[in-house]
Amino acid sequence: MSTALSSAAVPVRRRFKIGAESRGVKLLLPALLLLGGFFLIPVLTLLLRSVMEPAPGLQNYVELLGSQTYVRVFFNTFMVAGVVTLITLLIGFPTAWLLAVLPKRWSQLMFAVLLLSMWTNLLARTYAWMVLLQQTGLINRVLMAIGVIDEPLALVNNLVGVTIGMTYIMLPFLVMPLHATLRAIDPSTLRAAAICGASRWQALRLVLLPLALPGIASGALMVFVMSLGYYVTPALLGGTNYMMLAELIAQLVQSLLNWGLAGAAAFVLLVVTLGLYAVQLRYLGGGRTGFGGR
Amino acid sequence: MTTPFLQIRGLRKTYDQVVAIDHVSLDIQQGEFMTFLGPSGSGKSTTLYIVAGFQGPTEGQVLLNGKSLLEVAPNQRNIGMVFQRYTLFPHLTVGENVAFPLRVRRRPEAEIKAKVEKMLELVHLAGYRDRLPGQLSGGQQQRVAIARALAYDPPLLLMDEPLSALDKKLREEIQLELRRIHQETGVTILYVTHDQEEALRLSDRIAVFSQGKIEQVGTGEELYERPTSRFVAGFIGNSNFLPVKVEQMGSGRARAVFPNGHAVEGAASALAAGSEGTLMVRPEQMRIRPAAAAAGHGLAVTVRDMTYLGDSMHFAVQTPWQQEIAVRMAVRDGQGLSIGAPAVLEWDAQHGHVFA
Repeated sequence: MSTALSSAAVPVRRRFKIGAESRGVKLLLPALLLLGGFFLIPVLTLLLRSVMEPAPGLQNYVELLGSQTYVRVFFNTFMVAGVVTLITLLIGFPTAWLLAVLPKRWSQLMFAVLLLSMWTNLLARTYAWMVLLQQTGLINRVLMAIGVIDEPLALVNNLVGVTIGMTYIMLPFLVMPLHATLRAIDPSTLRAAAICGASRWQALRLVLLPLALPGIASGALMVFVMSLGYYVTPALLGGTNYMMLAELIAQLVQSLLNWGLAGAAAFVLLVVTLGLYAVQLRYLGGGRTGFGGR
Repeated sequence: MTTPFLQIRGLRKTYDQVVAIDHVSLDIQQGEFMTFLGPSGSGKSTTLYIVAGFQGPTEGQVLLNGKSLLEVAPNQRNIGMVFQRYTLFPHLTVGENVAFPLRVRRRPEAEIKAKVEKMLELVHLAGYRDRLPGQLSGGQQQRVAIARALAYDPPLLLMDEPLSALDKKLREEIQLELRRIHQETGVTILYVTHDQEEALRLSDRIAVFSQGKIEQVGTGEELYERPTSRFVAGFIGNSNFLPVKVEQMGSGRARAVFPNGHAVEGAASALAAGSEGTLMVRPEQMRIRPAAAAAGHGLAVTVRDMTYLGDSMHFAVQTPWQQEIAVRMAVRDGQGLSIGAPAVLEWDAQHGHVFA
């Protein structure tokens, strides 16, 4: 762009811009180096290997998207991520709303519970779900004892188990941004809706949900994207028959040493994620909470 | 007599041990502009919120056209309300905000469109239909809120300190608008404010609230000229309160004696002879004259301060018992007075009110 600009104004503006930029860059340098060295270069290397190994070309992508097995893994991944996002929303929205409207003492208590579960070791929580969900686990035994079911339900080593475990783990990542958005909504806005004649359902649909949309979108995106690449919980609760993408990549690298195919899978995941993020930026302004002018 | 349009009957509201309002009763006529005036925490907003349906009373009844409102959910009451803060829906345009109550009532699209135009014209914001609330000034937002509250022709419009967030000039401008809108639409308005000037400017009648009770209900003139309590006298307009002892009582008029022995006749009073009280006189209803010209009539005072205010003179005078009293007079009546000089304070008997 600098070449296209006429000579008079350019030097001043550029000097100013460079000055400002270089000052910012200096501060950013450690982070940039870290990201460059340990994220960008490995990702690029992986991407490169996906089109170079075993021979130059797109055969890894063809194999990935052409094989029934791999397509099934993609399908599992997106379906689980979608279902987890949906269920997390259904549970998370009322939770975030409660947190926003409860008296401070109660909301602090609820927050403490939420944070505590988040801070507990992921592996420990996932094993805890295995114990709860297995054939002779607490949930099956209780359900059989009260006569809801006769046979134990298959709650683990399948996508049901993965969905349950991941929903639980993802909940805080939705509740936190959503809570911030909801708390910024003036309660008298809802009173105004009621006095205008809106039923509870209309107030929710026409006022609360649209106002909460930026929070819903950023929370849901966070959950969806995190779910797409989640490894530990699907690996432990999903068993071997129901594989998700992160597991596939791990297996391709660790057991089969097929870096090319793993790179292709990782790259597809990255593209999808970036695409979703772009959509959110485009339509919801990057998930900022609240609306301008208030 | 026909049943009053809106009847508030013995309302009482307690939170735990705290009594927010206590036996508030009031009848409001159709088309009336009624203001609840009082300091914060006096129960005026609580009463309004009970009428709106956001709170339920501990005791009492609210009747609109003879039918109880309390059983009806807020969204079924068909009442309009304008809030203290701008509660427009920030994601909807001005036009959609005004259309909102009509949309939730599932009115036909053509009717909604016509009504929105009409309401925006009423509040002089016809060109602003497609703006978002965030692009409007506070005064404009509040006018949109009024348009939204009136869009479904509610029989009753509640306003909870709607102008308190605006600056003085804008406030006065919208007060005029409100009077015009009230006259044009004939809607009954219940208006809550802590600003006595605003109350006087707008209302047909004012109910003065204090500590959860209605102290007095009347037109602005009645409240100003004939306050029935010291609180009302102090809250509406400026007042001087002088300590007196009631000596004789007859037909609502008292002979009141000041601490220095000076006595005045004919002050309005409900106190029994022999009781201690306070005599209230408005600053502009008092006169002072140089002592030399007065020949012993009136209360002897000393001029402490004089302030020229253009349309009037403001005096601070000191009584023999060291109380400072405010007096306001026309500039030409203040001639011959000077700071530090002895003077005589007088007022017409009917302007004195004795309170407990």
